[in-house]
Amino acid sequence: MKVNRWTTGRRCVQILMLLLLATPAFGWTFFEGNLGAAAIVGLQLSDPLAALQILLLTGTLTATMLSGTAIVVVFYGLFGGRVFCGWVCPVHLITDLVDLLPWPKRLSSWSLEWKTTALIVTVIMTVILGIPVFETVSPIGTTARALTFGVSSSLIIIVLIVIAELVLVRRVWCRSLCPLGGFYYQLGRFSPLVVAYDTAKCSHCGECRRVCFVPEVLAPSLKSQRNMVHSGECTRCGACVGICPEKALGFALRNPFER
Amino acid sequence: MSANNVKQPQKNLPTGVKGALVGAGASCLVLKAGSGYGWMLRPPGAVAEDDFLKKCLRCGRCAHVCPYDAVKMGKLSDGLAIGTPFIVPREMPCYLCSDLPCVKACPSGALDPELKDPLKTRMGTAVISEREECLSIKGLRCEVCYRACPVIDKAITVENYLNVETGRHAIFEPVVHKKDCTGCGICEKACVLERPAIVVQPLQPPTESWYES
Ligand code: SF4
Ligand code: SF4
Ligand code: SF4
Ligand code: SF4
Repeated sequence: MKVNRWTTGRRCVQILMLLLLATPAFGWTFFEGNLGAAAIVGLQLSDPLAALQILLLTGTLTATMLSGTAIVVVFYGLFGGRVFCGWVCPVHLITDLVDLLPWPKRLSSWSLEWKTTALIVTVIMTVILGIPVFETVSPIGTTARALTFGVSSSLIIIVLIVIAELVLVRRVWCRSLCPLGGFYYQLGRFSPLVVAYDTAKCSHCGECRRVCFVPEVLAPSLKSQRNMVHSGECTRCGACVGICPEKALGFALRNPFER
Repeated sequence: MSANNVKQPQKNLPTGVKGALVGAGASCLVLKAGSGYGWMLRPPGAVAEDDFLKKCLRCGRCAHVCPYDAVKMGKLSDGLAIGTPFIVPREMPCYLCSDLPCVKACPSGALDPELKDPLKTRMGTAVISEREECLSIKGLRCEVCYRACPVIDKAITVENYLNVETGRHAIFEPVVHKKDCTGCGICEKACVLERPAIVVQPLQPPTESWYES
C-alpha cells in the first residue's frame, strides 16, 4: 500500500498531542491542563467554546482566559477551524483508528449539520443546568482526564462512541454530533488555508473522496470545477492531498471572504 | 481506509433537532440522577459551590500541580461534579503549600486568586464527629489531631476538665475553632482511629431545609 505522507505525519502529530496531554501523569511540569484550558511552558491557552460557556454562566472572564482564547481563535482561524479536529483532538485519533477496523458498519451518513444543532443544544443546556456542559461530559475532556487521573466510569462516553461508530454509523461523532466540531466548523469557514485542486490534472478517479471522512466537501468542488474546498467541515487533514495519484491536490491560501 | 460511498446529506434538521433534544434530555437525567451526593471538599480558594460549578473548567490544572496529589477529579458517579476537583482528606489532605500552586494554576477564577495566605484558606471546617469514639474524650492522651494541625492552638485547642467517670483524672478534649480552621483535613488524615473521629465538613450549613419542597 502506498504510504500517505500527510496521514502518517498527522498520525505522528496526533500521538504527540496525546502524549502531551498525558505528561502531567509522568510528573513533568511543562504542560498542565487539558484542551479546555492549558499552560504550555507558561503560555496560557483556553478553548473558545469553554470560555463561551463560562462567559454565559458567570458574565465575566478572567484575563488569563481572555488572552488564552484569543491566541487559540487566531491560530485556528488562520489554519482552518477543524484543523483542531484532525490534528489535535484525542477523540478524533480514537475514531480514526476505529475507522481502520474492517467492521461491517452502515455507510449511510448522518447530516453534518447536526453538529451546529448540538452546539446550540450544548449552549442552552449550559444555561439551564448551570454548569459548563461540554467541559463536564465531553469525550475530549474525559479522555484527557483519563490520561492523567486514571481510567474512570466517565469513559463510558468513549465506549458509546466507539460502539456507535462500529455498528451504527461511521464517524458519527466527529461528523455529526460533536459540538466542538460544530464550533470549529464555524471558525474554519473563514480560514485562509484550504485544500486546492489543479482541475487540469484531476482525472476524477475519486480516491480523495474515499479517504476523506467528510467527502461531502470534495464533491461539489469536483463537480462545479471550483478549484478550492471552501467548506469549514474540512479538517485540513491532507489525506486527499497525500492519496491523489495525479498530484492534483495541495494546500493553498485563499481570500477568506471570496467564495 | 475502507470504502466510502456516503450519501449526500439531506437537510433533515427537524429530525436533527429531535435527536439532539432526546440526547440532551438523557444527559440531563444522568447528570441530575447523580447530583444528590451533597458536599465535596474543594481545593483552597474555591468560590461558593454554586459559582464553583459554573466557573470551574474541569481542566484539572489544580490537580496537575498539587505536589501531594491531594486533588482528585470527579467521575460519572459524582453527577454534576463530573470532572471537578475535590479533596478526600483521609486519602490525602491539603498540606496548605506556602505558594498555593493550585490557586495559581486555576485559569478560571474558580479558585479565587485573592487567596494568597494559605492559613486564610477556608475550605470547610473540622468537627469532632464521633465524640464517643475520640480517644481523648474517652480519657486517653491521644491529641494526635491537635498536634498535626498546621494552625495548632488556634484551629484546635485542647480543653481539660475533670473526668467525671473516674472522678480523679482529667480529660483533654480537642476542640475545633472554625474561625481559624482552614479545612485542610490534616487532622482527619491524622486521626488514629480506623474511622476518623474528626472530619472536615462544610463551613456553612445549607440555608434552606432539605425537607422543604
Ligand atoms: S495547597 Fe498544595 S497540597 Fe493543598 S491542594 Fe493546593 S497544591 Fe495541593
Ligand atoms: S484549575 Fe480551576 S478551573 Fe481547572 S479544574 Fe481546578 S478549579 Fe477547575
Ligand atoms: S482541618 Fe484540622 S488540621 Fe486543618 S486547620 Fe482545621 S483543625 Fe487544623
Ligand atoms: S486523633 Fe482522633 S482520636 Fe485522637 S484526639 Fe484527635 S479525633 Fe480524637
